[in-house]
Amino acid sequence: MLLKRSNLFRSFVGLLVMFTIFVAGCSNTTKDQENASDKEKTKVVTFSWPGDIGDLNPHTYFPNEFFSQAMVYEPLVYYGEGGEIQPWLAESWDISKDGKEYVFHLRKDVQFSDGSPFNAEIVKKNFDTVLDNRKQHEWVELINQIKSTEVVDEYTFKLTLNNSYYPTLQELTYVRPLRFVGEAAFPDSQNTFKDGLKSPIGTGPWVLTEYKKNEFAVFERNEQYWDTKPKVDKVVVKVITDGESRVLAFEKKELDFIFGNGVISQDSFQFLKNSGKYETKLSEPTATRTLLFNTNNEATKDRKVRLALNHAFNKQAVIDNIFYGMEEKADTLFPPVLDYTKINVDPYEYDAAKAEQLLDEAGWKKVEGKPFREKDGKELQLELLFNSTDNIQKSIAEFVQGDFRKLGIDIKLISQETNTFWTTAFEGKYDLLFTSTWAVPFDPHSYLAAITTDSENGSPDYTALLGLPKKKELDQKIKKVLLTTDEKERKMLYTDILTTLHEQAVYLPISYQSNVAVYHKNISGVDFLPQEVEVPLTSIDVK
Amino acid sequence: MGWFIVKRLTSLIPIVLGISFITFILIYLIPGDPAVAYLRMSNIPPTDEAVTALRVELGLNEPLYIQYLEWLGKVLQLDLGMSYVSKNAVWDEILLHLFPTIQLTGASLIFIVVISLPIGIISAIYKGKFVDQFSRIVAFVSVSMPSFWFGFLLIYLLSVKLDLFPVLGRGTLAHLVLPSLTLAFGYIGTYMRLLRASMLENLNEPFVMYARARGLRQRLIVSRHVLKKSLLPVITGLGMSLGNMLGGAVIVETIFAWPGMGQLFVTSILNQDYPMIQGCVLFMSVIFVVCNLLVDIMYSFLDPRIRWEGEK
Repeated sequence: MLLKRSNLFRSFVGLLVMFTIFVAGCSNTTKDQENASDKEKTKVVTFSWPGDIGDLNPHTYFPNEFFSQAMVYEPLVYYGEGGEIQPWLAESWDISKDGKEYVFHLRKDVQFSDGSPFNAEIVKKNFDTVLDNRKQHEWVELINQIKSTEVVDEYTFKLTLNNSYYPTLQELTYVRPLRFVGEAAFPDSQNTFKDGLKSPIGTGPWVLTEYKKNEFAVFERNEQYWDTKPKVDKVVVKVITDGESRVLAFEKKELDFIFGNGVISQDSFQFLKNSGKYETKLSEPTATRTLLFNTNNEATKDRKVRLALNHAFNKQAVIDNIFYGMEEKADTLFPPVLDYTKINVDPYEYDAAKAEQLLDEAGWKKVEGKPFREKDGKELQLELLFNSTDNIQKSIAEFVQGDFRKLGIDIKLISQETNTFWTTAFEGKYDLLFTSTWAVPFDPHSYLAAITTDSENGSPDYTALLGLPKKKELDQKIKKVLLTTDEKERKMLYTDILTTLHEQAVYLPISYQSNVAVYHKNISGVDFLPQEVEVPLTSIDVK
Repeated sequence: MGWFIVKRLTSLIPIVLGISFITFILIYLIPGDPAVAYLRMSNIPPTDEAVTALRVELGLNEPLYIQYLEWLGKVLQLDLGMSYVSKNAVWDEILLHLFPTIQLTGASLIFIVVISLPIGIISAIYKGKFVDQFSRIVAFVSVSMPSFWFGFLLIYLLSVKLDLFPVLGRGTLAHLVLPSLTLAFGYIGTYMRLLRASMLENLNEPFVMYARARGLRQRLIVSRHVLKKSLLPVITGLGMSLGNMLGGAVIVETIFAWPGMGQLFVTSILNQDYPMIQGCVLFMSVIFVVCNLLVDIMYSFLDPRIRWEGEK
């Protein structure tokens, strides 16, 4: 009323109308309705991932994600329940007596998503392009062991190794780098590692049909898929970086399920579980959450300090208060249920008095009137590096900081985003690193193999352990255990290696982690797969 | 008027050149080596030979001023280089992420203008009354409530509980409401109070008394004279805020999974994607300068004295 007839009011309204038209023009109001009618015909499930799905190249690493690579590309053999190697793209295989020759008989009914045939020729081509970049895949010992690849006939492929390497089949199940892209996917240079793919063509149950970087990706069912086809027609993967936003989107039913490890906080999981409105599931222990000591730094070089910290850490309190009792306490680097990982050692139990005594022995003494211990006038300050995008690491790190302070240890928390985190970790710029083992099928052999190689795609443990007096000897034993053909010797060597790591106290295992799944009641088939990194999209169904 | 704009435009040249130089130099002040970063992003182990070879390939071995001139030459042709991570042109990546940001900023501006101006005017006219007191509280809440919390509250109440809007992502008009309201909320309090203060000041000016003496109605005095003059500080502020918002609202974009400039910039920094960082900084600075120019031009429309000064 006041401004009714004024020019300013009119221009104000004009501005408003302009912006409204502009904004309305920017967006597509009909899209939701289309989606709604689409949904009746086709079955769609939506879930989210903290980052982009990457460029879907099975032969490379960053910025690819395991789960999306596994949706599109398949291995020769599959890692099944309990570590049983199952036929997959190869329906059977023969191993020569000396363990150096593997002959794979390929399935004859497999096609790539563009209709091109899957045969020994293309298997060799994929192997060869990976082998052309051997150096980048050093952490997979099999790649170092491959001597030659050979097409025997259309559906028979032969792999010859330098030595008999016992985890060969197991490493062939890995999501990367030994999976297969179609002929049309190869770049002109034929080097998939350097120049990427022309398009993501695989044999897997899913085909990427729509993709908007950092927003979403849509996968549709591969209608030519040779095995049991997925139950739903479409999978939408939304990029949501924030864990709390993810929970809210799930409650609003914009997401059908939440799946993974560290994707939501334990508090949120507990909240969703207690609400009774949703289904929740927890997987069997997969990998070990652990702290890694940098044995090159002044304080952590000392075994006594490492032992002291092992005794100072109240694991049970972390499990009770942060995990609400959902995770199992870890005493050794690997869960004892894996092959060769059951060792007979005394766990480092929580014992504050013993920790104090060890620190005193190491020369870090309490000083009157000062909060932290000192040695030669230097305060006992340790930098703990953790990944800020992991919703769980932060809670534990803060807990550790408070707990260790009581013993006169100053823990400085350094939180970095994934990429910077790994760079810093590989450079060895920390005293304590928050890390975890790789879960099956990588544990224990690939994890240990990576300790011995100074490779970008290996593990930061290599640098961290360089300060150990017996590092060279340890590396040699690890290399030996991978090549030995004698089961008894292998067992003995593994026990020896794992016992050394335990006695040196270079790791501080916290708990065996699990994957979580939360889903609406109309969703079924959310089962955990043997490979931790895979999302069970083929078995999921919507009612 | 035309002369004024030309003059302002020419003064931009040294500013933009200065920005480009600082942007270029900044990269050399960031710890780390671009060549090593490039190799890491490409999954190639950064051995000494590889780094040396790449330095030659990227021209990093040339003296700094030659590198700068070469870079500047390319920038003038809108070639900002290639992202180390995605291997796409930086310019394309910026364009891809700019549009969502413009959308978000535009919608936020509407909220700011539509909410803060009327309340600001009314609370100046009815100073000390209920409306004024109420607006004071709103302003306090607006400037002190962190945007991530306000965003979650909005999602929880309006989306999860009342089912009025989608939680996150981009797509329809409805997707735009919550993020833009969250982004606008922090500014609303500021502009509400800014306009109120500036109006109160001007209401006491002699020209208002004179207008009253001429027998003009209060309505006309406020709308035609006082408001016009009081808008000046608000417009200056909005120009700055516009620059800020176009530079990306990282927190709001993260909560609502909005793929805008803020997200692009932050991921580039995290990935040590040097050309991308350079491109983003340069682009944002230019946007900021342009916004300021627009404010100046609008100023001269609203206050002829500025225009005359320019033409003298």
